[in-house]
Amino acid sequence: MENEKIHVDLEDFSEEQFMESFMREIQSEEAVFILGILVALALVILTVVFFGNFWGSSKARNAVLLLGLCDSGKTLLFTRLLLGKFVRTQTSITENSTTYKSKNDRGSSWTLIDVPGHESLRVQIVEKYKAVARAIVFVVDSSIFQKDVRDVAEFLYSILTDNVVAKNAPTLVVACNKQDISMAKSAKLIQQQLEKELNTLRMTRSAALSSQDGAVGGSVYLGKKGKDFEFSQLPNRVEFIECSALGSKGEDGDADIHALENCLAKI
Amino acid sequence: MLDFFAIFSKGGIVLWCFQGAGVTESFTGPVNALIRSVILQERSGNNSFTHNALSLKYKLDNEFELVFVVGFQKILTLTYVDKFIDDVQLHFRDRYKNELEQRGALKFLLNNFEFGDDFHRLMREAEVSSKAKAPVSMRNFNESEKSKKTVKSMIETKDGDKTKEQGGKKSKNAKKEAESGGDQAKAASQTASKKAVENGNEGLTQEEIIERNRAKFISKQLGGGKAEKPSKSPKPQKPKGKANRVWDMSGKSIGELDYSGANGNNSSDAQNQDPDAIAEPLIQVDSMKGDLRGVDYESSDDEDEVVQEEERVVVANTKKGAKKGGFGGMFGMLKGLVGSKNLTQEDMEPVLDKMKDHLIAKNVAAEIASQLCVSVAKKLEGKVMGTFTTVASTVKQALQDSLVQILQPKRRVDILRDVLEARSQRKPFVITFCGVNGVGKSTNLAKISYWLIENGFTVLIAACDTFRAGAVEQLRTHQRRLNSLHPPEKHGGRPAVQLFEKGYGKDAAGIAMEAIAFARNQVFDVVLIDTAGRMQDNAPLMTALAKLIAVNTPDLVLFVGEALVGNEAVDQLVKFNQALADHSRTDKPRLIDGIVLTKFDTIDDKVGAAISMTYITGQPIVFVGTGQTYSDLRSLNARAVVSALMKA
Repeated sequence: MENEKIHVDLEDFSEEQFMESFMREIQSEEAVFILGILVALALVILTVVFFGNFWGSSKARNAVLLLGLCDSGKTLLFTRLLLGKFVRTQTSITENSTTYKSKNDRGSSWTLIDVPGHESLRVQIVEKYKAVARAIVFVVDSSIFQKDVRDVAEFLYSILTDNVVAKNAPTLVVACNKQDISMAKSAKLIQQQLEKELNTLRMTRSAALSSQDGAVGGSVYLGKKGKDFEFSQLPNRVEFIECSALGSKGEDGDADIHALENCLAKI
Repeated sequence: MLDFFAIFSKGGIVLWCFQGAGVTESFTGPVNALIRSVILQERSGNNSFTHNALSLKYKLDNEFELVFVVGFQKILTLTYVDKFIDDVQLHFRDRYKNELEQRGALKFLLNNFEFGDDFHRLMREAEVSSKAKAPVSMRNFNESEKSKKTVKSMIETKDGDKTKEQGGKKSKNAKKEAESGGDQAKAASQTASKKAVENGNEGLTQEEIIERNRAKFISKQLGGGKAEKPSKSPKPQKPKGKANRVWDMSGKSIGELDYSGANGNNSSDAQNQDPDAIAEPLIQVDSMKGDLRGVDYESSDDEDEVVQEEERVVVANTKKGAKKGGFGGMFGMLKGLVGSKNLTQEDMEPVLDKMKDHLIAKNVAAEIASQLCVSVAKKLEGKVMGTFTTVASTVKQALQDSLVQILQPKRRVDILRDVLEARSQRKPFVITFCGVNGVGKSTNLAKISYWLIENGFTVLIAACDTFRAGAVEQLRTHQRRLNSLHPPEKHGGRPAVQLFEKGYGKDAAGIAMEAIAFARNQVFDVVLIDTAGRMQDNAPLMTALAKLIAVNTPDLVLFVGEALVGNEAVDQLVKFNQALADHSRTDKPRLIDGIVLTKFDTIDDKVGAAISMTYITGQPIVFVGTGQTYSDLRSLNARAVVSALMKA
């Protein structure tokens, strides 16, 4: 009877104690419990971030930018690459972007972006897209290159010395456009002239004034110090090709852009 | 009658174009000029633009990113063009709505926009409607309203006595003229006499108006209490006697009005007057004692006070605007959060007003701030907002983008490269500094020559300020200092800086020419020409400056302006450019090529002067002066300036 009593007592006691003991258990294990939850959360976050980066990086840089001065033929080149047909164009105010299926075996597709060349717009739009650029097609007007060599070189310099671009090192294709005009310069000549000009710019730009809040623009130094600048010194893959967006037959015929298409297929 | 009509996307692809019969030139050139000078320079407020002999009008469609441009000869004044563009835009949108709503640039390329038939129909309608309004011919007397009124109806009581009488007289005269329709007119006028039409002066002829004015004048002379007495009034007014003029203080006697005794006494009035009279000369004496304050300091003080007053007024206005905007802004926020909606002018107006006041508070010139806001409104009208974006944020972002766009230089700004180019061509690179008095031309000239010397160039300073006392000595002091900082031994034996001066009172243009010839002979790399400060309204001095620039054709004409200037910047730059354009003999005059913004350290974030100056001229800000030592020279950072401007 005593045992039963005790048993009963114990039972009662244990029921009441059940809650308390449960609470005590949780409290004693609280630290471990919460620690476990935290570790689990951290792992989840880390995986998400890791995969996000991984996926992001492979997804992020899939754009090809068409850059160049005003009137160099970027918009026409854009339409020729996409559809092969001729359209009349005006000075662009906003960018044109679309997906492009490249003509290689893999059939990969990426975004082709035609950036306006006007000085007041190009900086902002390049800022927007420079991080996602896998390749840059720099379009040069070969017929008036002699006159504009300094402007062309300055634009090219500002792109190459941009921190983001220098880090990603996208492929650079310099497309010497308007080859259908008889006075057009060859790609080789343009390359030599640009190398000379960029050599001078390296010196003058590094001596340029810092801006009023103390920031110095673009601390990237192109090429190797002490030696004359050459495109081969850049970490990016650089190619010079000739093309003609208008084509020899003008509006009716095809454009002469096979070299460019082959180049783009290799990206 | 139209030369051309073009519809193209904002990305530059022409969707459809029409060229009028007999027009051989392509429209690409004028339209590009339109885009570059109006749309890209944020002058979209006025929607017309002239280029050579063509006049261009345009309309932006922000929802589908299209631009509609029409061009016609400037000498034709076509009244239907505005309405015509609107009609064309609506038709085009309605017809191609489905195609245009696709995403990506391919939609412009893949679809064929055959708009020719619709366009010709619309054009025919527009031309017909403009011809339909024939000039209105004048009504003869029978058709006019006057003939239908009786004499009696035009009589008013009391005030308009004479007008009615004279109106009645006129109708009596007219009745004599229109005898044929006279009976009918009388009957009609009698029946229509109920109208109590007040004729006022409309019924009177010119002579009668003059008579009435003369009568008024005479009556004023005679005395205020008399009622107007028209000469032709049949009822003679009761002639009032001449009333004595009553003065306010006239209650007192003559003795009280005599203050001659109070001059030497201690009456209250005299006490107030005397300390003031004594204090005045004291103030003047004290201000000249001690060190003289520099011209720059005083002028900046005045500018600060003016700016503060403007601020106070502007703050009051912004408070009012904020109250209105706050209430509307709440609704706008709620509306904006739900779904996508088109931006209309009414939505944007409160936000734009607030932004305009904010810009003015940041020292942007008033008319430029309003032009900017109008241009941003034009750019955003009809645009579709995404979800979770408010009207305010869209407008602010657009305004920020356009401000950065304005501050971006439209051409390459690399002085060192240009100097190297000139050196390779064996001629000196000539820079001229012009501006109003006291902005810091000589100081910044010295800073720029220090920078050039640091980069290994030899500099010749031409002292073409032959007016201000001590100008040449100032430049000589700078030259000595610079040479001591960079001794000639380090520069291949020749001094880095040399001063070319011919004393005071001589012709500035002649000195400049001699200086440039000297530099060419002695193989100097850069010539810096310092001119005298001059007010933009001073015509002979502006002519002299224009002559200096036209004769010597410098490579770079820099306008030096201080960052403290407010609305004056607009006036200064416009008048300087005008003077340079007017007095140059060529048809391509040399205008201001760049701006030096000085005293930038004196403004904290009220950097609006940078916007005013670049907007007016379209030229870049080449240098920014931030102090008075040689190293206080910077270049402009557009993003930093815009973020300082938009900061609340």
